[in-house]
Amino acid sequence: MSGVDKKLVRAWVRQQAGPAKRAALPVVISGALGTLIGIGQAWCLAAIIGNVLVARIFPDLAPQATTHTAIGLIAAFAALSVLRALSICVQELFAARAGIVARARLRRSVLDSVIDIGPALLRRQHSAEIASLLVDRIEVLDGYFARWLPASMTWMVFPALVLIAVFVVDPRAALILAICGALVPVSQAVFGIGAALASRNQFLAMVRLQARFLDRIRGVATIVLANATDREAEALSRSADDLRRRTMKILRVAFLSSAAIDIAMVAAIILIVLTQGHFVHLNGLAAPSIHPSPHLTGTVFALFLVPEFFAPFRGLALAYQDRAHAAGAAEAMEGLNSGLAAPEGEIAQERETPVLVVNVRAENLSYRWKDHGPLILDGIDFAVAPDDILLLDGPSGAGKSTLIELLLGFIQPVSGRILFNDQDIATMRGRDIARHLAWIGQKPVLFAGTLRDNLIFARPDATEDELQRAIEAAAIDSFLPLLPDGLETAIGEGGFGLSGGQAQRIAIARAYLKDAPLLLLDEPTAHLDPQTEHEIIASLRSLSQGRTVILSSHSKTMKALATMSLSLGSDGDGEART
Amino acid sequence: MSRIGNIPSRSARPGRTGAFHALARILEVWRPYYGRLGFGLLLSALAALSGFALMWNAGLSVTSLALGAGIAFGLMRLFGGGRIALRYAERLFAHDAMFRALAALRVWFFRHLAQGAAAGLGFRRAGDLLNRLVGDIELLDNLYLRIAVPALGFLIALPVLVYVALQESASLGLALGILFIVAGCVIPLLAAKRSARRSQSILHAESSLRVAALDLATGLREARAFSGETLLAERITGEEARLHEAQLVQAQAMAQAGALSYLLGQAALVMILLGLVGFPGVTVSLVSGVALIFLTGTIFESVGTLSRTSVLAGRVGQAAERVVAIAEEDQSALEPGCAAPEAGDLVLHDVTYRWDPKRSPVLEELSLTIRAGEHVALIGPSGAGKSSLAALILKVARPEKGEILFGGHDIATLDTASLRGKIGWLSQSTHLFADTIRNNLLLGRDDVADALLWDALEKAEMAETVQALPEGLDSWVGEGGALLSGGQGRRIALARTLLQDAPIMVLDEPATGLDSATERAFLGTLGRSMRGRTVILIAHRLTGVEKLDRIWRLEEGRAVPLPV
Repeated sequence: MSGVDKKLVRAWVRQQAGPAKRAALPVVISGALGTLIGIGQAWCLAAIIGNVLVARIFPDLAPQATTHTAIGLIAAFAALSVLRALSICVQELFAARAGIVARARLRRSVLDSVIDIGPALLRRQHSAEIASLLVDRIEVLDGYFARWLPASMTWMVFPALVLIAVFVVDPRAALILAICGALVPVSQAVFGIGAALASRNQFLAMVRLQARFLDRIRGVATIVLANATDREAEALSRSADDLRRRTMKILRVAFLSSAAIDIAMVAAIILIVLTQGHFVHLNGLAAPSIHPSPHLTGTVFALFLVPEFFAPFRGLALAYQDRAHAAGAAEAMEGLNSGLAAPEGEIAQERETPVLVVNVRAENLSYRWKDHGPLILDGIDFAVAPDDILLLDGPSGAGKSTLIELLLGFIQPVSGRILFNDQDIATMRGRDIARHLAWIGQKPVLFAGTLRDNLIFARPDATEDELQRAIEAAAIDSFLPLLPDGLETAIGEGGFGLSGGQAQRIAIARAYLKDAPLLLLDEPTAHLDPQTEHEIIASLRSLSQGRTVILSSHSKTMKALATMSLSLGSDGDGEART
Repeated sequence: MSRIGNIPSRSARPGRTGAFHALARILEVWRPYYGRLGFGLLLSALAALSGFALMWNAGLSVTSLALGAGIAFGLMRLFGGGRIALRYAERLFAHDAMFRALAALRVWFFRHLAQGAAAGLGFRRAGDLLNRLVGDIELLDNLYLRIAVPALGFLIALPVLVYVALQESASLGLALGILFIVAGCVIPLLAAKRSARRSQSILHAESSLRVAALDLATGLREARAFSGETLLAERITGEEARLHEAQLVQAQAMAQAGALSYLLGQAALVMILLGLVGFPGVTVSLVSGVALIFLTGTIFESVGTLSRTSVLAGRVGQAAERVVAIAEEDQSALEPGCAAPEAGDLVLHDVTYRWDPKRSPVLEELSLTIRAGEHVALIGPSGAGKSSLAALILKVARPEKGEILFGGHDIATLDTASLRGKIGWLSQSTHLFADTIRNNLLLGRDDVADALLWDALEKAEMAETVQALPEGLDSWVGEGGALLSGGQGRRIALARTLLQDAPIMVLDEPATGLDSATERAFLGTLGRSMRGRTVILIAHRLTGVEKLDRIWRLEEGRAVPLPV
């Protein structure tokens, strides 16, 4: 990770830490209880074995009493086991809940950011990437909240608890454990750096695969009809293989770091057994009258606690890629927020009063799609008042749709400004801009659902009367009887079941329903046959009464509607005529 | 809250037989990877055995030492080292094998999806399909890594445990065997059965969350312009709540199964402890007793994961069904047929067609003949069936009645891919991919010279515009061509169709979004540049500059010839 990333992650983690750590607390507490119970269990086991050893070696030493103690210890062991099972159960549930709560909170905030930035985001990112940010980027953080956070809070504490317990009983074994344990963080640090990078790359590969596949799915008919299925399948196979290789890179690091812990663990086991052997040998030479059991009990106790000692390290190692995911998420969220519109202070107060009229003025408006690219709009000036219809004229690619997107507030000009009723729209929130206007775009997005759902999307509280008026005005009533279920006809994503012209008329009806004082029409009749176009133009004419209209079109009849025009393109840049 | 998008996605009927059938199909796809997968299993078996040997040995050593006996440390180091190396190799190899198989399954899924989707996605949701390709297929790795591998571990551990315990006492062997079977077999099966009922909801919720997120992402412009943000955001949070609820239930089931399996392991330890203290019937010697404790701990721990992941078994089965369901939808494109002739007349004879059995027919007993090399136009208002006619010629749709002949062959008998290779179609919904202009023109072909690309762009009246772009052919067009104007995007699609170099060209409203000067220029040169090929121009109206051999107007499902 680079320095910037680290700073980012730290800042983000600080921001997340408060509530997330509170949520992780029950996980930590039940984990601590579990560790203490584990120490108790190991003690019971070791004591029983020690007892039995004493009984077998010195059968004369009150065997009855030893057996009784042993049975008691077994009962205690069983009881502790039940408690341990409970603590495992509870810890898991707390972890699951902590992950869920944190993800829900985070998703809400990402959702707000996405909505806040709005359509400008689609210029920078594929919709699959945005959706993946909302779904996978956050779901994958489950591990961070449910595993990494608790593990990172406890990986020093739990082994220390175990170490103290072992130290009390067998200091030599404790020393061995401490040395082997100390090697683990070193190896983890070495592997961890690689893991973070690999995990970031793997996630990006996954998002790329998603974006590519979604795009190909949407255009699947184009692929099939061009007989390009095989070639696309090959490309997908390459992407999928790339994902596999990147995933394996992460796993290799994860397995290596887990193997490193295994080595430390096996080394600890062997060393503990070895050193105990040394002891026994010495004792073997000494008089057998020395009580032999403390060593075995202590050693067995230490041996049983070896896995317990290493478990937190293992947990941390397993969760290391979760931390890397958090770094990736922090980065993605930072990317989302960079290049946001006006800073908070400049945003004017949102007004709740309905907007009745809009005077639009553009002053010296310029725009380019890319930094240092050519200016697509250069110093445009115009003013449109209610009852005016401004035609944006010019060849395809002259910047008509760009100008409309500027007016919608989807993108911001590189210089100049747009005023609605003398207020610069750069100082308005996106939603406030939207309250002024209705829009008919070139490619209306239709959602899967019924025709009615797609219409009332523009105004969920519309009455049946208003809906009916919009349907008539957009000439939807002319094809409605042909549909099997009328307004309740199901349409597929992207308008499956409707022709291009029919889909366009839904967009027109939406604009009617919205009933706003400013109308932005971007080639509203592009897909319509002359008869339908004629009907639509007649109804657009009545809709434009008292409203401010800005329209772009190649259709002659549509152009005739205009009261003034603005010529765009190389030959007559930004020249307004009335 | 919202009613948008409540169409249930087409998912296969849940059911045990469905899941088994689906798994069988998937295993079939994985056949080329059997070697790798099998080797992964072998490694996992060896790793498990060396692990058991290590713990057994550690237990033996420690007690022997306590009793003053010498032991073989070398053996322990060997098992220790062997276990670590084998475990690493096994995990690496098994995961790699699995991911290879998953990548192959993704490609298989895409191919089958494409075969059934010549007419587009229809009512299927792109987000749902994406979820199947990404999430559902990913879930299938559990089948091997977290079900098959641990199950093999169980099968290996069972005889080891029982054999070792039997050496000490028959009843102890029996008791441990029963406890182990319950932990490694009965609990996982019960957990799997119990979860099968619930898993539908979690997969569904995941897919719906993705669909809702995609709806917002794709519809950001509409959402802003029509203040629909809250509506779409509420759908996302609603689906999220459903998903999280299902996840919590699953976590509960997993925790319960895990805890039960743990308790059984502890019960086994208690049995051995009782043997150690000399409980009648299960008495064990000290050395083997301690070793058995170490061994039992490891063995029961190894099946603990099986109890947990068996909670996922239901989900895995359903994921398999969801993946296979797509492949089994419409495979008519696969029907064998003979190769299409190089060129020929197109004859439609008494063709009747409707999109939907509930709707009235779009075309009714329509007959027309287009001779090879003719340039013709089909005009009519929207909904007159112009696009349906094109779909029928390309075998995207089948006529209800009547027949379509190409070069004298009924197209139903022709190989679909071969027929489509002869027809270039610019449809109204032609898609621009989020890629460069070059890749949009090539669609994956790599045998086309740049000169041909420029030639196609020239014919589509787009060459000048592309030349003016700083990155030329390598300019990025954005999602759905969003970085181009509507007219420019249309002309890129047109150039792509022209590049296909097919003997028949079906151009559906090629001039949409073009200013009238460009439109006239394109239509004027079309006649010259397409000489020798059949051109079927589909339009609402004609501009008058087209040079045509025949014109039909589509009216009430029939083709009425108009004077040229």
